[in-house]
Amino acid sequence: MTKNSDTTASIYKETLLAGLWRENPVFRLLLGMCPTLAVTAAVKPALTMGLSVIFVLVCSNIVVSLMRNLLKPHLRILMFTLTISTFVTIADLFLRAFQPVMSETLGPYVPLIIVNCIIICRAEACASKNNLVVSIIDAIGMGVGFTLTLCVLAGIRELLSTGMIFEAKVMPDWFVPWAAMSMPVGAFITLGLLLGLVNRLTKGKS
Amino acid sequence: MYRREVKAVSKIKYFVQQSWLLILSSFCFGLLLAIANAAWSPRIEQNRINKLNALADRLIPGADFVPLEKSGVVIEVISLKGDRKKIDVYKAMSGEQCLGWSFNAVGPGFQDKIELIIAVDKDFKTIAGFDVLASNESPGTGAKIKEKDFQKQFKGKPAAKLELIKSGQAKDNKILAISGATISSEFVVEIINHYIKVVRQEMQKKGLLGNDKE
Repeated sequence: MTKNSDTTASIYKETLLAGLWRENPVFRLLLGMCPTLAVTAAVKPALTMGLSVIFVLVCSNIVVSLMRNLLKPHLRILMFTLTISTFVTIADLFLRAFQPVMSETLGPYVPLIIVNCIIICRAEACASKNNLVVSIIDAIGMGVGFTLTLCVLAGIRELLSTGMIFEAKVMPDWFVPWAAMSMPVGAFITLGLLLGLVNRLTKGKS
Repeated sequence: MYRREVKAVSKIKYFVQQSWLLILSSFCFGLLLAIANAAWSPRIEQNRINKLNALADRLIPGADFVPLEKSGVVIEVISLKGDRKKIDVYKAMSGEQCLGWSFNAVGPGFQDKIELIIAVDKDFKTIAGFDVLASNESPGTGAKIKEKDFQKQFKGKPAAKLELIKSGQAKDNKILAISGATISSEFVVEIINHYIKVVRQEMQKKGLLGNDKE
């Protein structure tokens, strides 16, 4: 009995940690590149995008996991898309009602969560094959992993492009902001360098 | 005949067997979205009005903005794309006195569409200013259309055809382009020129303005 509960606890722990590092959606699986490059010019929009993705991931994984035994194989992608688009629309409406400035800053990237590969990937790879608890833990792990990655990327870009973090001045007066870091070129360079760093750190470990 | 009926029934049965979950889910999700929309849409609309009012108030300070639609007047103009579009026109009032007009305008930008709010005096002869409602122009260059240095050039300019210049003095109807963002500056000037012209014409048609040419 104790052995069984230990095994279950270790499965939950493994599932949670997988999204944070070993199977990090951005650094290891290279999923969700569109928002990773587009909304990481500053930390606030990156954090909002990350929280929206967590909400959609958790809700869609719950629904998919609950209906997994009823899904017809040839209709499953249609069901996933229907589920995901519902929760993305709710997230979009919520942001427009309660965070209008952030909703405007993120622009079309909130509705575009519908086509974010992380969400459909987790519905297909995890929620449609596992029970409710594992699906929720997986969604939280992947969502938090995605959010942290976005925030790290956005932190570096915001710091170098404005000298600020969360709109608070951090860099000394002599610092000259690099405007290029807030442009797409800055996103590609920062992501490339971070991917290289992560590959270097994990070299040989896999 | 009987066989055909049995075949038809089994087809319907097969259809229901295969798609009942999809139909039921669509109904439930639709209901969920309808509830969310009904709960939050008044707040979303209020946010839009608040933003319009805040921007319009900066352009014509101290005025109360009354939407023309309230008095049953709908203003439809030809957009820059060539289609007819309804726009929100507000009358800026101070007590009984009309101080000017403000209206929203939309047109193409360098990266995405640019949405502006434009304010003019009561006779549509002078521009009171403009502000950006929405745009996704390049940070560091095109995004400067949101900055006061660029916007203040428009204040007091004649509500006639503005001309964009790349260097020199922004006198008379001339507007100095943002360095490194000439295209975004051009789009802003084009939107303002077009909308002032078509809104004025439409308002003259409706008898809200005199017919004298500027």
